[in-house]
Amino acid sequence: MEKHIDRIIAKIVITLISIYLAAPIVATIMYSFAKSWVNTILPDGWTFEWYLQLITNSDFLSALARSIILGFVTTIIAMCCFLPVVFYANVYDESIKAKLRFITVLPFTIPGIVLVTGLVRVYANLPVPQMLVLLLAISLLSLPVTYQALDNAFIAHDFRAMFEQALILGDSPIKAFVKVVIPNIRVGMFIAMLLTFTNAFGEYVLTNIILGGNYETLKIYMYRLMQSNGQASSVLTTVYFFFLAIISIIMIAIMKWQGSKKAEEVEDTKKL
Amino acid sequence: MSTRLKIFLPFGLLILSVLVIPVCVMLISSLQNMDGGLSFSNYHQIFFSRYYRGAIYNSISISLITSVVSLVVSMVGAWGLTKLSLSTKNILITVFNMSSSFAGVPLAFSLIILFGNAGVFKAITSTLHIHDALNIYSVTGMTFAYTFFEIPLGIMFFFPVLDSLSKEWFEVSDVLGASKTFLIGKVIFPIILPNIVEVFVLLFANAMGTYETAYALMGNNLVSIPTVIGSLINGELIANVPLACAFATLFTVIMTIIVWLGNRVTNIKGRRIS
Repeated sequence: MEKHIDRIIAKIVITLISIYLAAPIVATIMYSFAKSWVNTILPDGWTFEWYLQLITNSDFLSALARSIILGFVTTIIAMCCFLPVVFYANVYDESIKAKLRFITVLPFTIPGIVLVTGLVRVYANLPVPQMLVLLLAISLLSLPVTYQALDNAFIAHDFRAMFEQALILGDSPIKAFVKVVIPNIRVGMFIAMLLTFTNAFGEYVLTNIILGGNYETLKIYMYRLMQSNGQASSVLTTVYFFFLAIISIIMIAIMKWQGSKKAEEVEDTKKL
Repeated sequence: MSTRLKIFLPFGLLILSVLVIPVCVMLISSLQNMDGGLSFSNYHQIFFSRYYRGAIYNSISISLITSVVSLVVSMVGAWGLTKLSLSTKNILITVFNMSSSFAGVPLAFSLIILFGNAGVFKAITSTLHIHDALNIYSVTGMTFAYTFFEIPLGIMFFFPVLDSLSKEWFEVSDVLGASKTFLIGKVIFPIILPNIVEVFVLLFANAMGTYETAYALMGNNLVSIPTVIGSLINGELIANVPLACAFATLFTVIMTIIVWLGNRVTNIKGRRIS
């Protein structure tokens, strides 16, 4: 009986928190479809006009393209830098992991605004492409997320045996890594890439300060719209929200699929 | 050795070029005045200017209140989450994860629609003739705004802790006839206390470092450590990078100490239990 009451209270609590957190998002979505919504409880009417306006706007399309490029390149850099290290730490030397733990608190002790101060001080007057500085810095900022996701990918299999067998059979280390290790961590790697991409796609602080108005990404464009056109900005925010939602749905689907696969494996071993 | 080098080279170069060198240069240049000479004038300026002291005070008070409130709410939320079925849990965790990445410009804009001067909340309160005390463009408003990403973050930190509590403890205490308050007060609370400290530290640090949401809501009108740093780097009139470096160094030193202390508390407690 008491357990039953507990569950009901739990459900109420979660519902209340979810409503609280969802309220701003719901209001933005409604605003994006509203004809006008000033000083009234509900909008005056509904329209798709703002969506058409945004989608056909060339500023929007180029900002979107810039954010996607930023996301892709950052993901590639992050994978090249972190994947070998996480592999090595998991397979050959677990003690490195303790040393790498500083990574997880990095965003808390050195947040973007602090990091950018140092970056501006060092690189602003050097003949280095600022774009390169930005890409590397975003890769670093995404490190905690990427690291965690990649680390999870290495649970379960005996990668050392696999890797060394491939080496004995005559593959070069890189070939062995690509042919034997990567196929076994592809799901975890995909999640790590997805998270890194999302991180870089939505980056604002570094991009705004290092490149300023010279490279208008989606977030910077969103901020500019926010100052001038509320309706268009709400559409953009809604689009951005759905982008995040789609990525989340993909991740839920992957986790479910993996969960069911694991359950099947357990069933199989039981049968044996 | 050469394979090891190959493995660590890209990672090492990245850490060196965009973390170690900038942080070191930041440290050194915080001790330089505008002419390049070595002095403590930047720190002197921070501590003896009323404006900059105000920034520190605002940052700390906003972060303290928002992280305490979010800590309590997220603890209850994480507890609620452990009671739900597995599939609902997974979905909700992903949703909370998403809402914490909604922080920044989109969140600021959403809050303006809800609580801004022409927003929904104002419309409701004026129709009902209630005096609306919430001004989103203020220190109080900012404290309120931060909860929208601090709560989901807190839930994500707490959930694994509460979920890993042994079910047997609940059964044993049930069988032995202990009351629920006894179980929570004498067993559960002492066990998770270090985790509470740890999550609090992370939430506090996260709020202290928040720039995007604050800047998007109030521009440079809010005087907090991150926005002051931002305007010192970026501002056309008052650009003073060495001073920004001093602020950033101060921030990093304080946060490193706090996070380190938080970790120590967790480690000591953790060892005692095991």
